[in-house]
Amino acid sequence: MEQLVVEICAGTSCYLLGSQDLIDALETLPPDKRSKIDLRGITCLKACGHGPNVRIKGVVLSNMTPDRLLQAIEDNL
Amino acid sequence: MAQVTEVVKLQRKVLAEVSRLALHDKLADHVEDILTTVVTEDGPRYRCCIHKERAVLKDRINVALSQPIGTDITEAAANALNGEVADGSIVRVLPEACDRCPIDKFMVTDACRNCLAHHCIASCPKKAIMVAGNRAYIDKMTCVECGMCKKSCPYGAIIEISRPCERACDLKAITAAADRRAAIDYDKCAQCGACKIACPFGAISDRTYIVQVIQAIKAKKRVYAIVAPAIVSQFGVKVKLGQVKTALIQFGFHALHEVAFGADIVTLEETKEFAATVPTDRAYMTTSCCPAYVEMVDKHLPQCGEYVSSTVSPMVATARMIKAEDKDAVVVFIGPCIAKKVEGQKNPDCIDYVLTFEELAAMFVGAGINLTEITDTLYETDASRHGHSFASAGGVMKSVIDTAGVLAPDITIKPHRAEGLGNCKQALQQIAKGDLDANFFEGMACVGGCVGGPGTLNDVRITTKMLETHVNATKTVMAPENQKAVDVIEKGGHWHKE
Repeated sequence: MEQLVVEICAGTSCYLLGSQDLIDALETLPPDKRSKIDLRGITCLKACGHGPNVRIKGVVLSNMTPDRLLQAIEDNL
Repeated sequence: MAQVTEVVKLQRKVLAEVSRLALHDKLADHVEDILTTVVTEDGPRYRCCIHKERAVLKDRINVALSQPIGTDITEAAANALNGEVADGSIVRVLPEACDRCPIDKFMVTDACRNCLAHHCIASCPKKAIMVAGNRAYIDKMTCVECGMCKKSCPYGAIIEISRPCERACDLKAITAAADRRAAIDYDKCAQCGACKIACPFGAISDRTYIVQVIQAIKAKKRVYAIVAPAIVSQFGVKVKLGQVKTALIQFGFHALHEVAFGADIVTLEETKEFAATVPTDRAYMTTSCCPAYVEMVDKHLPQCGEYVSSTVSPMVATARMIKAEDKDAVVVFIGPCIAKKVEGQKNPDCIDYVLTFEELAAMFVGAGINLTEITDTLYETDASRHGHSFASAGGVMKSVIDTAGVLAPDITIKPHRAEGLGNCKQALQQIAKGDLDANFFEGMACVGGCVGGPGTLNDVRITTKMLETHVNATKTVMAPENQKAVDVIEKGGHWHKE
């Protein structure tokens, strides 16, 4: 089964604005959902200041919150 | 710090913008820009209107610049750039941001059955309760908020609600003033920062020295960063101290020193002090490394003051060592703690400024430094496991017990420890009264110890785990085995308060 690649920026700017919370939100998903996601840390998505930033299927999503990220993943799965 | 909420983001954006402008010599002329870059026309909106949000922002900028609230921000920026720091307390209520939470302390809920017994009415000493609309009703004009009704209701239908800031304060130092805004009683406050974390409106903040530190660096002074042992994993679980060191040097700091080394000095000195004074001169001794705890003892249990160890804190020990080697050094402590800013003010001989990890990260962002893109250079620590373990609750206690096993194997240590100022206060009172059989007490204001501090960036559970791994990987096991620390002590120096 092909996993959905979710790249979360762990750069200092995004980290300061809460990228760790996004990672935590994915790590606490139920196993059947979590297994469909390939979570990757990334160092910069060139949108600093609008973080935390996430890239899913080539699209950079800014000002992410855990809720919006889970919704975005739901939409893309 | 548990979750990065919208209000936390806002606070951090202000700090990053202040840093960016100061670094690019634009703060004096462009501080007003922050009002439009952090709060934009198209939202998101958290308050009634953009004007209110910008008014709140001005309070935040003043606090970030360490200037009195209400100062015109251009003037505040000019003062900060001149290195000025306003007098007064570190933790401040931002009057514009405080929502003046209109909370009625006791509330009758839907669980009220309008029973026959009416214990609530019977128990109320002010006759403030009557039945209206088939349930009990509290007349707010007569109620004195004694709580008897809540205790008497067999359904538990009357609940007590308090403001988040009030509830967070173990020392009851924060209350609603006449205008319903939060007010801090600084005769009781230990400036631990618990209220800052608790307020969902971000209406309590602590003064920062960001601009003053940047100015010292720009003036080409030798600015030393001394980092608290709680730094493990603060900038992300994968960011190592070697990367942080490179980033600090890139930023313009002269050197990095670990406060864990000072903690080794403290372990040795505190153990010797304990062996020399307990039980001969005093029945027990308590730790002195947590500034909020020491402040609590000072303000709430002054009769216990003589039982606090005279050994200086690891921060002061580290700073004194640096100043002895370089008298022109500007020493900046970087840690998880707000109360350290107060301790810094009290030790102007060796501490120039104090920053939190949160503030340092915002400064890196302002400088465009991304820690994850820096190659790690292996950093060799000069501290022992003991020194590093100071960051976690129980660490100081264990270090002293272990060290006593080597330096004074004949003494008996009956240890006890507590986390949280309320718990510390209670335990210390019990020890003083003799209700609790202990002769060595470790007090930590923050739950979890320093890693649970208000200036941290990572979750206390993650940091605690990472710290444990880090401690176990450290080569030198015990403080007495740290020859460099032993040598520094032998060279002489002031490791005790006068």
